[in-house]
Amino acid sequence: MPHIFHEFDNAIGDLKSHVLQMASLTRQNLERAVQALITRNIDLSRTVIGEDTEVDELEMKIDHLGMEILLRFHPVASDLRLVITSMKMAHNLERISDHAVNIAKRAKKLCKSGDPLETAMIEPLYTKAEHLLRDALLSYTDGNTDLGERLKNGDAELDKAHKEVIALLSSRLETAGSGAENLLHLIFVSRSIERIGDLAVNIGEDAVFMNEARDIRHEHRRNLGEEDRVVEKSEEG
Amino acid sequence: MVNPVQDTAIHIDNVCFAYSGKQALHDVSLEIPSHKITAFIGPSGCGKSTLLRCINRINDRIAGARITSGTVRIHEIDIYRKDIDIQELRRRVGMVFQKYNPFAKSIYDNVVFGLKIAGMTKRSELDAAAEAALTGAALWDEVKDRLHSSALGLSGGQQQRLCIARAIANEPDILLMDEPCAALDPLATLKIEELMLELKKKFTIVIVTHNMAQASRCSDRTAFMYLGKLIEYGDTLQIFRNPSDKQTEAYISGAFG
Repeated sequence: MPHIFHEFDNAIGDLKSHVLQMASLTRQNLERAVQALITRNIDLSRTVIGEDTEVDELEMKIDHLGMEILLRFHPVASDLRLVITSMKMAHNLERISDHAVNIAKRAKKLCKSGDPLETAMIEPLYTKAEHLLRDALLSYTDGNTDLGERLKNGDAELDKAHKEVIALLSSRLETAGSGAENLLHLIFVSRSIERIGDLAVNIGEDAVFMNEARDIRHEHRRNLGEEDRVVEKSEEG
Repeated sequence: MVNPVQDTAIHIDNVCFAYSGKQALHDVSLEIPSHKITAFIGPSGCGKSTLLRCINRINDRIAGARITSGTVRIHEIDIYRKDIDIQELRRRVGMVFQKYNPFAKSIYDNVVFGLKIAGMTKRSELDAAAEAALTGAALWDEVKDRLHSSALGLSGGQQQRLCIARAIANEPDILLMDEPCAALDPLATLKIEELMLELKKKFTIVIVTHNMAQASRCSDRTAFMYLGKLIEYGDTLQIFRNPSDKQTEAYISGAFG
């Protein structure tokens, strides 16, 4: 429903369009970073590293716009949740873009190596992470709460696939000789993709809060009894 | 719509109210908790002031205005019972209005006015009560050296706090405030709001306000009214974070109409 004070609607619209622009740029950076790795394209790696500055600037712009809305219009209810979620989303997108830069930097180093690369195992990980990110963004733009809530399941699959890739790459480290460095780069790439999945889940959780005022963060932990939490903690430790 | 709360000071049950046959409140029910601040919000003409004025029967002064059905109980006593002493009711339910209205008398005489009417004559008792009320209204330090000066020489914010002192001098249980800051500047408004948070330790406060920020800053519970009906009533943070009714959301978000 439009606000009586149209300037408020304009400010909200401006905030959302900056978030969408940042999301689009972040997805593009991630895709290019992985393509740079797979196709050994050093120029594409450099593009990703350069574009990250624009993502950083968009994060600051979104923070600025959000703060301005809080100051000028004192939003409440769904407006307040939208502003808070947009600012948190910008933070998560900035971190995703940082991971894309990490991947691009590793790709740059790997491009210089003449050895054959085991990048085939990275592609399915990226596909899973990309789907998570796409669904997280849809849960924000379309108000699709179901998508936001289901991200945890997809992330669990990504985590499992990530562990398998790490196990495989690690098992080859001892016998890799001079190729060990390349394997380590791929381990870090895999780690970045796994973290991107976590950040997509964060975005989806925030979108659920925005759409329905429900806080689903740490729901798994909250549903555990105290005893289970202690057991889980000791297992982690 | 009834929201049971603990330590209820005021029970409003199915109240309908009309001004000369024109229905102003439709079947309003809510329970107002003790020692909390409850805010009535809503657009002009929604019935929030009418509802507030039902709590001390000040509407009785208007010809043709009356509750047509339902009850208002204060600490379980039906205040519309025929044997209710109206003077005693208004002593127990003090009221502060939008336009501060001190009498054209000294500061001191304003504060002890109600006490004298109630029969208090001993100077020492009146002095002690005046000091306690002015202290309670956070005004004592500002006026203690000029208690016998005209109340009309005080600033707007001070005059409103004097009216609060005058109301609490009678040691009421409940304080009704009808847009108490509407005529005050932002700093005087903040002083009244700060005072309200202190006063709720001793009194149950019900406030009518058009100021959404004031309702969200000060009140514990908020009731949104529209066209004489109670649309939503609940915890203030919940109302401002995630109201359950679309009309409430539209009003507090500035998207109404």
